[in-house]
Amino acid sequence: MNADARAGTRNRALARNFFFRELSTRYLGSVSGLAWALVHPLALLGVYYFVFTKVFRATGFAGQSFLAFVAVALWPWLAAQESLQRATVSLNGYAGLIRKVAFPHEIVVYASVAATLALQFAGYLAVLVVLRVGGEPIHLEGLVVALPLWCIMAVAVAGLALMLAALQVFVRDVEHVLMPVLMIVMYLTPILYPLTLVPDDLRPWVAANPFGWLVSRMRDALLEGHLALQWGDALAAMVALALFAAGRALFLRLSPHFEDFVG
Amino acid sequence: MSAALPSAATAADAAPLLRLAGVGKDYAKVETRGGRLKLVYDLLRGHGARHVFRALDEVSLDLRRGESLGVVGENGAGKSTLLKMIAGVVKPTRGTVVVNGRVGALLELGSGFHPDYTGLANIDLAAALLGLAPAELAAKREEIVAFADLGSHIDDPIKHYSSGMVVRLGFAVATALTPDILITDEVLAVGDESFQRKCIAWMERYLEDGGTLILCSHGMYHVQKLCRHALWLKDGRVAGYGAAADVTQAYLAYHEEKSAGAKRPSTPAAASAAGIYAITSLALEPSERIAQGEPLVVRGQAFSPDGRAPVVLVGIVRADGTPVYGVATDMEDTAPVRLDANRYAFALELPALALLPGKYLVRAHALDPEGVRLFDHVEREIVVSGQTRELGLVRLPHRWNPPAS
Repeated sequence: MNADARAGTRNRALARNFFFRELSTRYLGSVSGLAWALVHPLALLGVYYFVFTKVFRATGFAGQSFLAFVAVALWPWLAAQESLQRATVSLNGYAGLIRKVAFPHEIVVYASVAATLALQFAGYLAVLVVLRVGGEPIHLEGLVVALPLWCIMAVAVAGLALMLAALQVFVRDVEHVLMPVLMIVMYLTPILYPLTLVPDDLRPWVAANPFGWLVSRMRDALLEGHLALQWGDALAAMVALALFAAGRALFLRLSPHFEDFVG
Repeated sequence: MSAALPSAATAADAAPLLRLAGVGKDYAKVETRGGRLKLVYDLLRGHGARHVFRALDEVSLDLRRGESLGVVGENGAGKSTLLKMIAGVVKPTRGTVVVNGRVGALLELGSGFHPDYTGLANIDLAAALLGLAPAELAAKREEIVAFADLGSHIDDPIKHYSSGMVVRLGFAVATALTPDILITDEVLAVGDESFQRKCIAWMERYLEDGGTLILCSHGMYHVQKLCRHALWLKDGRVAGYGAAADVTQAYLAYHEEKSAGAKRPSTPAAASAAGIYAITSLALEPSERIAQGEPLVVRGQAFSPDGRAPVVLVGIVRADGTPVYGVATDMEDTAPVRLDANRYAFALELPALALLPGKYLVRAHALDPEGVRLFDHVEREIVVSGQTRELGLVRLPHRWNPPAS
């Protein structure tokens, strides 16, 4: 076995190890276990349902029920948000390793993002099935499109996560700034409201949000049953890859110096 | 991984396992948050950090299979940085590090353990870090658990372990994975008696089989016992590199001198005409370095202001000032030989110098003829060399007898 192949084997073994560790320490270690992955978004969905349909009595969700309309978009967003938050501080948990052993630090970030996305995607599937069974007009065949969209999102999130995690090692404020920023971005993204409700003069700005594009594509597929791929999907994939490449370049620049600053 | 290591003899002429050439490492110095931002900016632009602390500089060494290396030095001398550089954790700022051993075959004992993992999970992690295939691991796991001998604690997170238990586990992992180069940092003295014996026994077998050890230790005993070469780091630079016995002796001598404080003047007293009893010359044969067990001759002249023969006292102290032995002419009914009215000569022979290797001072004192008042002394430095690992200052006559019946 040559050195590259051996390093490849090793890195895969490490990635597997980190991934399962992330899963087990995060969810299996806590009392309520895996349920948390579902409970949190469900509780949010319940609150939004109460506030928007009972208090504000909002209507006009593109002809859809509020629950289906929001659920389809909320899960991917929460998945991305949680991935970024966890990945940002992920290197800290591996400080002992980083200080003592030579290994590609990016594996830590990938394992963190992958674990979060895997759990959230499982939750997503469960909720879609439950909504469908409950009579909501969910097109489960739309998953054929939704799955690649999740993959595009995963690539983009991984790129951002690499960037944030690397910066967090040096500047501890990243973690604290991220929280409110994500909150603001969420409300600026057409997750809880359709783009059509946004005033005309502001609409182009809101529409320019790539995440808004992503959720609108998911709604097309899962709520309307449009299964055709678009040119925009290819563009989105390219943007995601570019983001990933940029994030990784930044990460690799900084990672030789982690050992001195991490933890 | 499980293949037997080639024997030291056949591999000695091969390329070195590890070569460091003019290696140096600068660490960024940042005090403020703004400084950290600026540092990130500098690093991203590909510049080095602006304010640096030079942790290592101009370190070169070759490590061949089976030729273990001891690294000695005071705290903060750069030992840890050097080990990290060898392990690949730290990239050198200057110079090159070439590792010809297998990638991932470097293991620092007990490193890479995750406090939240159980003992078993840490075994898996260590195996993954070394690139062990799952099938190989399954075979090794039992062996590791048995060696560590931690009982049911093997299922507890290691943050609940005592430091001794962590070392047991680390050592157990190392024993089963047989790395090309084993890096250990001051761990041989941990664990109970029986575990230590197990470790030493394993270590000796590992070394016999051509394993290569890098031992970072404050215990010169272990360095001398286990390592062929030693490297002495001082303020990030190499203060000594060579045979383990020589380097550790030089290092010990340095410490002895340091703890003895400022050295006294060692020039012969020029005050010979000042009217006091004085030593005017002192010479050792051999002069600076002597092999243990060789004869040493101390020769000198003394000045007497009134023509009476002074008493000469010759003493040996270790470099830190610990007295070893002293003898004066009047104790043994002898006296310096008169040369002229005011000058006397003496010569003391120690036929088989019993001093253990190290740095010593030979002092000659001039006393009045009554042997009461001590006027002057002159000293000479001498290094006793040797390969022995005996402890203390002198070799006492001894023999091992069969146990008494």
